Formats: sequence, structure tokens, C-alpha cells
Amino acid sequence: MKRHVIIAILLLTVALPRLRAAGSEWIYTGRLGFSVGGTAPMGMPATIRELNSFKLKASYSVGFDIERRLSGSWGLLTGLRAEGKDMDIDATVKSYFTTIVQGGQSLAGNFTGRVVTRVTQRMFTIPVNVTRRVSDRLTLQAGPYVSILTRAKFEGYVYDGYLRRNDPTGPKVIVGSDENTRGSYDFGDDMRRLQLGLNLGADWHLRKTWGCFANLAWGITGIHKRGFKAIEQTLYPVYGTVGIFGRIR
Amino acid sequence: MRGRWYLILVACLLCTACFKDEPLNEECDIETAWLQLDNPEQMFYKESDMQITVPYQSNRIVFTVREGADVSALALYFTITPGASIEPASGSVHDFSRPVTYTVTSEDGEWQRVYTVSFRSQTKTLSDTVKMDFEHYRLSQDGYAVWYELSEDGEERPVWASGNAGFNMTGGASNPQEYPTAVLENGYNGAGLRLTTRSTGSLGAMVGKRLAAGNLFLGEFDLSQTLTASLKTTRFGIPFARKPVKVTGFYQYAPGATYTGPNGRPVPGRTDQGDIYAVFYRNTDAAGRRVTLYGDDVLTSPHVVAVARMTDMAPADYWTAFEMTFSYLGDVDPELLKENGYNFTIVFSSSFNGAMFEGAVGSTLLIDKVRIICETEE
Repeated sequence: MKRHVIIAILLLTVALPRLRAAGSEWIYTGRLGFSVGGTAPMGMPATIRELNSFKLKASYSVGFDIERRLSGSWGLLTGLRAEGKDMDIDATVKSYFTTIVQGGQSLAGNFTGRVVTRVTQRMFTIPVNVTRRVSDRLTLQAGPYVSILTRAKFEGYVYDGYLRRNDPTGPKVIVGSDENTRGSYDFGDDMRRLQLGLNLGADWHLRKTWGCFANLAWGITGIHKRGFKAIEQTLYPVYGTVGIFGRIR
Repeated sequence: MRGRWYLILVACLLCTACFKDEPLNEECDIETAWLQLDNPEQMFYKESDMQITVPYQSNRIVFTVREGADVSALALYFTITPGASIEPASGSVHDFSRPVTYTVTSEDGEWQRVYTVSFRSQTKTLSDTVKMDFEHYRLSQDGYAVWYELSEDGEERPVWASGNAGFNMTGGASNPQEYPTAVLENGYNGAGLRLTTRSTGSLGAMVGKRLAAGNLFLGEFDLSQTLTASLKTTRFGIPFARKPVKVTGFYQYAPGATYTGPNGRPVPGRTDQGDIYAVFYRNTDAAGRRVTLYGDDVLTSPHVVAVARMTDMAPADYWTAFEMTFSYLGDVDPELLKENGYNFTIVFSSSFNGAMFEGAVGSTLLIDKVRIICETEE
């Protein structure tokens, strides 16, 4: 957390002297895009062997930015975005520590087989970016963001494999593939409601007042609450957005 | 400066996306144990006794041999988890007149399991009546009761099995008495058996197995099949060299309040029933292969020779005597009987349809002082 604050302060110290340099103007921009990406551990653990399917779940992102032009080609931007960060994945794992949870009961152990994970996240995001006009057409921006989640689901099931209870020497239970023989989990309640991250984007002006953009948002907080141990790694949201923007004024 | 930013980003993406080398196996199980003998009949009653498939939750491997068999220098072979190692080595010669301990170490070197292998001679049942008083039990490492019998020479024989290991997976019990199969401290005579149909809670409901009937049977429980083939978890029967005639004992029974079907919905007007039955069956087929009967065929298999079943278990809140007589579907071959060619099981369950996850939560069957009365030998 402290680290995040330091990053934000650093960015502001870079931008603020330029802010005072005046001769500036305000720019208002609307954005419409769609995001794809994943919620993944940083560095794939060896226990995840294969991705069998990764369904692109495009979520719309609607945003509004205010940018303050500063001296030279620099600027400072903030705004509000309503966006979704979803994922639907089927992976093959080997001896992956996980927990089957249903109601108040849980069954933890090392699972070998296949895992389906479905993540749904709806949120409002506030970026604080430094912008830099590289040319008349290209503007780059980078900075931290904070997201407030309005909806958070993290659920799925393990199937076609087996679980060793508690550790690899524990009792073995074969897990089938239909609803009555596989194990489900739901960790929606364990998700953070506030996410922090860094984003990096580029705006390409096709005309003077509109263009297309690409943005990459990289979470620096895991999607689950601290102390959440039911799955092996901390998962970070990494999502890319592409779309169009238009100057409002 | 900007170029470097991109490089860092691309590096991050690559790190995240690429798969690492497959980790080494962490498991360290003995899956099967077997002997290679030129004349297996000298040591074993039948050839199929030379090989044992070890249930994953078990760390005791017991071979049943003829009385007086020489086990002082035998080479035992194992199949273990791929990549794991076993000490002493598979195929090394040992004296099995005492149990021999084997340690399996996983491929990654981080995990170990210790197994005990013993050879037991099948002692002949001398008396005409086999007594089952449920006095011998201990707690498993997972905290539920397990029963055993003492042979006539005082050796422990872990012949009893229950579904407690399955219920344990639901985390639904915090002490041994909360398990479906539990010790009744004050039975008809000393300790007895208390079987209770229990709810398996939300984890059980998730997999359509909403209740667990209390059960105890002669045989083995294979936990690994609990989710995928629950009727295959019960491996019924132990070798039995006498011809059973009838079963007697004492019971109490109280059905639970609400009978529910497999979907968890109440079935109006239906009352739960306890169940007691015993089966005597041929344990090898015509080709000499081992035959084990499971929950799905223990009463219907063509290998069944005789069945005794309690037809109507009236609720009773005091000790009530019961008696079941075996009805024979075929002849018993006296030579095969001597050669351990028949298996016997007796099954107690607090819900008649418990194997199908139907019944009434709370149904309680108490059992004590069971006797298997066998035909007197000339």
C-alpha cells in the first residue's frame, strides 16, 4: 500500500511543476472501449500446465476524462470509467493447491486435473495519468489507477482429476466431470472491493477531435483479500482495452 | 526512456504467459504389491491372493497365506507413483515372519509415506459361532472410530469398514460421536454400534449426496471412488471358511423425522428403515480371477451363494432380538470352502436406501451382540 502511495506522489511531483507553468488548457474526452484480459498470477506457477480454453469475454468500458494541458507536450489526466474485467478459463493443473468450498464447508488439498474459473468484476475506475503528446497524432499516458468494485464474482469448479486431501500424501478422491461428481467453489465474498494498479495507454488521433486508443491496466493488488489462502497464488488483473475516443470540448 | 518502458512491459507479459517445466511428482503411493512365485498354491489359497491393490488411504498391506506357509525369505514387488522411490527396494528379499516397513519417497523428494507389509495365515474358525461384539476399536488419524476383530490367536484383524472416511471429507464432524458410524458406549453388552444417518451439508449437496447413512460392513472402503462411483466404494466381504446358517443379534431403531429423496426433497408419508443383511459368495470366477462384490452387485451377482436379510425392522427403543436365516441359491463346495474360496459380509445401515443417498437424517440404528451361526462340521 505504501508503495502505491509513493508511486502516486512521484508522478505528481513530475507533473505539478509543469501544471504551474500555465499557458494550459482543459480537455474533456469521452471513451468507449472493450476490454479483454485475465486475472492471473504474476509468473505462471509450474503447477499450471496448460490452458485448454480461454474464452474472450469482452466487457465494455465507458469513460470520461479531464485532461489539463501543461507546458510543452505534457499533461495531467484523470476521469471516471465504468468497466468490466471478466475471465472464463479452463486450465489443466498438476498438484495445484486449492479449496472446494460450498456453503460453510470446505475441502482443501492438492488437485490434479482441470479447473474452470469464471471471474466477473464490475467497477468504477479513476486513473491519474501523466500524458505526453509525442506527435500531433499520438499521445501516450501512464499512471496509477484505483478501482471501486460494484460487483465481484469468482467461481468455478474442478473436474476430471483427483484431489489429495490436505497434501500430496492425503486421502485421494477422484473427481468426475458432471455436476454430481465434480467440486465447485465460490470465492466472490473473498474479493477485494478496492483495487489499485498502473495503466499505460496510447491515443491515436484519426481526426482532430476523435481517434482510437489502447490501454493496458495492470493490477498491483491481488483480486482477493489479504490472507486469502484457498488458492495457491495471488491473482492480479491484467486487462487491455481498445476503443474510440472523442473530444467533448 | 519510453522504449525501456515497453521492454519492461513486454518482459512482464512474457513471464506471465509462459509455462514452466512440469513439476516433479509429489505423490508417493504404493499402488499394487505382488509376489512372483513358481508354485503359488503352496503359499496361497488362490493365485489371485498374490497381488494386492492398495487403497490410497491405507498404509497397511496384508497378504493372506496358508497356515504354516514359509514367509521367511520373500521378494515383494511394487508399483508406485511414477518417479517415486521405495526403500527397501522392490524385489529385495525379506523375512516377513514379522511385518516389514517400506518407505516411499516422492519424485520431488519432499514427501514420504510409510507402509507396513505383513503376511497372515488364515486361521481356521474353530467354533461354530462367530461372535461380533464391537468391543475392539480405535480412532483413526482423522478422528473417527475404526473397528477390528481379534483372531483366536489374539492377532488384530482389520476386517470392518465404514463410510466414515467419506463423511470426514465433508468436515461435518468435530468429534468421533458426530460421525455416521460411531461407538455406542453402553450397548447391550459392553460397547455397541451406533449408526446414524447424517446430513453431509452443503458440500454433500453440491455433489448430490445429501446424506450419509451410518454403516458398518465386513470388507474395505475405497474412499477414492466416493464422488465418481459411490457404489464402488464398498468392497464387501472377507474370506470365510464356514457355511453360515443364520445371524442373530440385538438392535434398536428410530427412524428420522423426514424422509428425503436423492434430490433432497421430502417424500411425504415415507418412513425410513434400517437395514441388516449378510451375503456369502464365491470369491473367484471360473478362470480363477478374484471376485469382489460391491454396493451395486452384492445382492444380485451370480456369485452370490446365500443371502440373509432382515425383512422388516420395526422401530424399537429397547434392545430387540433379531434373527435372519440364510437362504441358499446354490450348493457349497466343501473343498472350495476349505481353500478359502468363499467370502462373507454382513452389512448394517441406518437407512435402507442410504447407498442411494435417500433416507431420513437422524435415523438411528443401534447394534450389539451379533452372532453368525455356522453349520457344524462333521
